[in-house]
Amino acid sequence: MARPKKGNTVVIAGTRKGLFLFHSKDRRTWQSSGPFFKGDTVRHAILDPRDGKTVYAAVTSEHWGAVVARSTDFGATWKVGEEGPRFSKESGLSVTRIWQIQAGQESELYAGTEPAGLFRSTDGGETWASVDALNYFPGRDKWPAGGGGLCLHTILPYPGDPKRMLIGISSSGIFGTNDGGASWRNMDAGIRDFAPGETCKETTTTCVHKMARDPTNPAIVYQQNHVGVYRRARGEDAWTRIEKGLPLNPAYGAPFGFPMVAHPHDRGTAYIAPLAGDGNRVMPGGAMAIYRTANGGKSWSKLTKGLPQKDAWFTVLRDGMRSDAGDPAGIYVGTTTGQIYGSRDDGDSWKLLADHLPQVQCVETGIVGGA
Amino acid sequence: MVEGGHRIHLTLPSALREYARGHDAVDVEAGTLADVVARLAAEFPGLGYRILDDQGRLRRFVNAYVNDESVSHLEPQDVRLRDGDTVHILPSVAGG
Repeated sequence: MARPKKGNTVVIAGTRKGLFLFHSKDRRTWQSSGPFFKGDTVRHAILDPRDGKTVYAAVTSEHWGAVVARSTDFGATWKVGEEGPRFSKESGLSVTRIWQIQAGQESELYAGTEPAGLFRSTDGGETWASVDALNYFPGRDKWPAGGGGLCLHTILPYPGDPKRMLIGISSSGIFGTNDGGASWRNMDAGIRDFAPGETCKETTTTCVHKMARDPTNPAIVYQQNHVGVYRRARGEDAWTRIEKGLPLNPAYGAPFGFPMVAHPHDRGTAYIAPLAGDGNRVMPGGAMAIYRTANGGKSWSKLTKGLPQKDAWFTVLRDGMRSDAGDPAGIYVGTTTGQIYGSRDDGDSWKLLADHLPQVQCVETGIVGGA
Repeated sequence: MVEGGHRIHLTLPSALREYARGHDAVDVEAGTLADVVARLAAEFPGLGYRILDDQGRLRRFVNAYVNDESVSHLEPQDVRLRDGDTVHILPSVAGG
């Protein structure tokens, strides 16, 4: 396979059985490579936006543990970590899976694990340090696990402010720090409680599914929760529902789904992939639809052009959708039945980019050489 | 030499040989199964991590046998070894 060139768009697909890389100069025709890490699950992988060159993959072997691997030649060679993140002996916990990997502000790399833990590396994933104030947060022994396990699946650094970060844990909720991880606080107020008619307080455990910052104003965060879709800006004391026009999960009267994606440069524009409900995690009616808001969540429109409208009985997992940095933006969606659909016009229309992959765990994007 | 150690023959499954510079078996001096893994980890960085979890227990889908007897249910430090024992590390038949 030809090596990607500077300026190419890269799409990374982590799957239940390995990692696949795609690249394109025009986002119309794509070249692929992989699978890498055959047989292992890659729940998340990124192209480091700081250099546009290093691919980090969170590789979980159910037998042999979870590590981070990196490649600086787009998969021609990999450096696999000798060890992965570890909890302390005193904790009684052991890392089983890595769910998320994110580049920090400077040279650091963050990993989110199962059981829920946040770890920091300053050597490209070779060694890891526990973020103890979160990992041994008072009351963590009572954190409830979600259906996928007690996992830390979302890490949102704050561009321009290395002391701030949000993280999401299923199903223990949202935590924020503004002192570089030395202390954390719960941030769940305003989310529906599972009890009918009740609303969560700031310290209630909630089942956050995914969050995304608005790149044009990182103080604004969008969230897909188990029970609803929300928006919250820094300084606000609660999450606000943004659900007009969305299909509802009949169990809770709230939209259900997993991904949340912000447009790379259009303020107030975000994308979700609603499912029929938590008891039936498929596209509603077997017809695939992505929903887009262009006004910060005041209303949503349904996008279907080019997407399968019958027999689409799959799920889009929490990291299964991403945007690229293009203008118009590319939006990419991976399914649990192994398809990747791509749009190169902000989601107005879609084409099949890949088919017959293993179950897609994550889709990420980047530009070779950096944006 | 581990104090109280014995000569132990260890076999590795194919999936772990890449972490042991291609060896399918190694001989170590050890008194317990925990010692065996510690010796492996010292000789082959990364190999011990793939056998034991953060608490020093065998990973969930990793099995260990001493000669023909399963010791997977025991804490590795409690598995006492005798001179000439053979330890087998095997993955569970799991996954798909």
